[in-house]
Amino acid sequence: MRHPVLYLFILVALGLLVAASLGGGPWGAGSTLQHWTGELFRGICHQNPLRSYSVNGVQMAVNTRCFGVFSGLLAGWLMIPVMIRIKPGKSVIVGILLFAVLLQIIDFSGNLFELWSNTNHSRFLAGTLPGIAAVLFISELFIQPDPKLHEQ
Amino acid sequence: MNEQDKEHQSVTDFKQFFPSAALVGAIFGVISFVIGLYFGYQQINSEPTGSLFSPMLFSGVVICLLTSFAGLVAVWHFTKEVTSELSMGQGAALGFLAGAVVAVVSVLLNEVWVTLVDPEYTEKMIESSIAAIEIMDLPESAKDDMIDAMSESIEQGATFGRQLFIGIPVNGLLNLITALIGVKIFADKKESF
Repeated sequence: MRHPVLYLFILVALGLLVAASLGGGPWGAGSTLQHWTGELFRGICHQNPLRSYSVNGVQMAVNTRCFGVFSGLLAGWLMIPVMIRIKPGKSVIVGILLFAVLLQIIDFSGNLFELWSNTNHSRFLAGTLPGIAAVLFISELFIQPDPKLHEQ
Repeated sequence: MNEQDKEHQSVTDFKQFFPSAALVGAIFGVISFVIGLYFGYQQINSEPTGSLFSPMLFSGVVICLLTSFAGLVAVWHFTKEVTSELSMGQGAALGFLAGAVVAVVSVLLNEVWVTLVDPEYTEKMIESSIAAIEIMDLPESAKDDMIDAMSESIEQGATFGRQLFIGIPVNGLLNLITALIGVKIFADKKESF
């Protein structure tokens, strides 16, 4: 694998991002919105309690869609070592990415225009896919170039 | 490469990156501030409906999505204006820097707005948000929690350094990821054997 230090650095950062997004529950706080974890994401997430999961009975720091994206990024990052061995084709990865983005738009728009009501689980899943797909898209950057090909 | 060369290389990298990160970060920071302000005044001037789809919900979604792409655009700008040869590590640093600039510029502009232009903005915003929360179909404890958090944010909102300390890591990381997407799309990667 190329750039192992950068890989590990981002892995730790994404792990911390997901851990912080769990909110005040794991830290024993009674409320997330007044906890530092809630404050951390206040600028980027509406933090509506109806649209968030809870941990230990305490609302998480981000809504289910944002949590899905963050978890997807982390899951995708963990999959990079496997992906660089499998080397899926570019068209497969671009296909997954387009499908994920399209699904997100359809899910958001359908709910907005009251065609259907999405749920916390569907929002989480719709968020997870683009997160994974975005990381898979860049996984190729970690593939060690073949020195034989380089010499030719 | 010895230690001195490495140090010189990172200073050169920073000097090369900074114009792209500053320019793109500043543009995205201004856009994020203007969108936030637009939806903010829309929230202030609208009657509370109790709907989950408030102007501020849109504002959060739009700003979050938009500002995350500063890293990608910064890489595009760098490859266009400086050199198309960019390693992953350099792209990551450029993305993080662009995200940090977005956070700094938007917090700075917000500070200028509430200090010089409309000192009552935050108060009006909080009143309007509380009115909206009060008629939402939420459990009383959740409503109280949200209102308390907002009141607390007024007191802490004045601390410029605290907003930056909170804004930079998350913005920086999200932009770092999109910058890597930018490296994949726009850059000729430096090979290191």
